[in-house]
Amino acid sequence: MSNVLEVNDVHVAFGGLKAIDGCSFTVEKGTITALIGPNGAGKSTMVGSIAGAVSISSGSITFDGNNISSLPTYKRAQEGLIRTYQISREFGGMSVLENLLVVRLGQSGESLINAVFRPKKSKAETNELVAEANDILNTFGLYRLRNEYASNLSGGQKRLLELSRAVMAKPKMLLLDEPMAGVTPALIEILGEHLLELNRSTGMSMLLVEHNLEVVDKICSRVVVMAVGKRLAEGTLGELRQNRDVVEAYLGGEVHERVGG
Amino acid sequence: MSVILGYVATILVTFFTYNIFTLGLNIQFGYAGILNFTVITFMAMGAYFYAVFVMPPANASNQVFYILGLHWPWPLASIAGVVASGALGYLIGLIALKRLRSDYLAIVTLATGTLLYGLSGDNNKLFDGWAGLFAVNQPFQSVANNNPNTFSWIFVVISGLVMLAVWWFANQLYSSPLGRSMRAIREDQDVVDAFGKNTFKVRMLAMVIGSTIVGIGGVLTIQYIGALSPAGWTTGETFVVWAALLVGGRGNNIGAMLGSLLVAVVFNEGTRYIPQVASNPNLVPDLRNIIIGSLVILSIWFRPQGVLPEKKAKFFELPLKDKYAQTFGGSKADQDLVVEV
Ligand SMILES: Nc1ncnc2c1ncn2[C@@H]1O[C@H](COP(=O)(O)OP(=O)(O)OP(=O)(O)O)[C@@H](O)[C@H]1O
Ligand SMILES: [Mg+2]
Repeated sequence: MSNVLEVNDVHVAFGGLKAIDGCSFTVEKGTITALIGPNGAGKSTMVGSIAGAVSISSGSITFDGNNISSLPTYKRAQEGLIRTYQISREFGGMSVLENLLVVRLGQSGESLINAVFRPKKSKAETNELVAEANDILNTFGLYRLRNEYASNLSGGQKRLLELSRAVMAKPKMLLLDEPMAGVTPALIEILGEHLLELNRSTGMSMLLVEHNLEVVDKICSRVVVMAVGKRLAEGTLGELRQNRDVVEAYLGGEVHERVGG
Repeated sequence: MSVILGYVATILVTFFTYNIFTLGLNIQFGYAGILNFTVITFMAMGAYFYAVFVMPPANASNQVFYILGLHWPWPLASIAGVVASGALGYLIGLIALKRLRSDYLAIVTLATGTLLYGLSGDNNKLFDGWAGLFAVNQPFQSVANNNPNTFSWIFVVISGLVMLAVWWFANQLYSSPLGRSMRAIREDQDVVDAFGKNTFKVRMLAMVIGSTIVGIGGVLTIQYIGALSPAGWTTGETFVVWAALLVGGRGNNIGAMLGSLLVAVVFNEGTRYIPQVASNPNLVPDLRNIIIGSLVILSIWFRPQGVLPEKKAKFFELPLKDKYAQTFGGSKADQDLVVEV
């Protein structure tokens, strides 16, 4: 199987702080791979580097066979690489539905001439997108709130919007930075199922940063562990539980007993 | 009677042109979040370039100097003026939009405007320096000369029609996917970037469209008055346009229109008719600025979204297909939300 993502010896420094210090790992096409590690390990920084928001000082990132290390953020997204944020970043002054509509690329009404002089065509397109967006909102439990301003959603609802919006972009690969943080336990399970279903039905690859190991256990086929800016280990969660370094750095005895028992 | 007719016409033309300025700024700031703090420079650019394209070559023996002097017919010169202001928008956009975020961008626009102001004032070879351009050829010149009131009312119709066209254009843009991208950039540019849109291009488009529209207002202004000097486009004038948009309601084109009516006509023009105090000639203009300033402060304090806030988008919707509800248990998620969130 080929890799959809290859991170190769990436370094990122913020001033003197080496947030990522020579990290390499791969994500196999069509899989959901987890990226776990203690707070401050560099996971969000890694997501940012892959998406292009954080510039890397050395190393390379390959997506779908192309070296994207020097591509600007928006071109990486155009290649089909879409990320979500650990702290929700909704378009607050727009409705929930509009938050989804805006992210779909290739709408004819994005050109000025079509926008102003051929509104019919673009309206028809938008109507189809509305139906599609409503489906997605329904999946993530936001359908009733579709006409609410995004800024009025609760913290947990904003997490759901963050996910829905990313799905609306129809990416080849999703980079999810703790999508379940702040979501109720019952809903976490449902969201996990949705992600798995999405992955199975569309073959969308995902890199999932997540502290909830039950979710990781359920939906991720492989796990990459990061600590202090480096890849500490890689494998299935079961394998990692036998790994002394990983247990010491992250899993801890408690987690081991609860999940592994 | 004819004095009143002329006065009413002038008020209407003022309203229409200010409304055009405000709509232009609304596309830049209300849609795309671009802080253009030199709106009025684009008005001047449109006006000056219309003038130097439409006027005959400068007559040095009169001590009047300006560039070009091509003596083009007024419709072509109008286009030249509008293109010039759009081009200036593009140039400032190149400096300001490539790397800078809102506050720095605001400073760059302010600085560029001040620079151009000083340049056109101090360098009398460009647009006749501080004296400015006068006796600028007007459309329907003979009517303007012989029958000023008729000219005024012809111009009410012209500027009214142009304003309606701009208004239509602005509304088409607002509800389009392009307008939606602009508004999303206003909310969070990085995120729009991360979803694959070339945000520089979209912001540049808003910048150039807005500048072009303000330039249209500038061409109309000088066509109506027949003259423009730097005193007519001070930073204070930019402030009037901003005040109109903020009071009326940024992001809402009807709000922009209401704001132009309130600020540019009622307060700005209205206070011109407060009797002058001979001992203190600056009193009235100062009073005007104080009144408009207070209006902005009050409006931001009590109605931060303006008198008419931006409207929420509405869409044509079919009843929800239930395929997800069946396969994904989506309705279950919905119920969970009702209970738990
Ligand atoms: N913009 C920044 N400027 C300076 N330092 C930063 C910046 N972003 C991250 N860091 C630092 O880089 C390190 C890695 O942070 P990062 O956010 O990637 O951790 P993380 O693994 O996502 O942690 P968490 O699980 O808490 O989200 C931290 O020490 C953090 O303080
Ligand atoms: Mg993080």
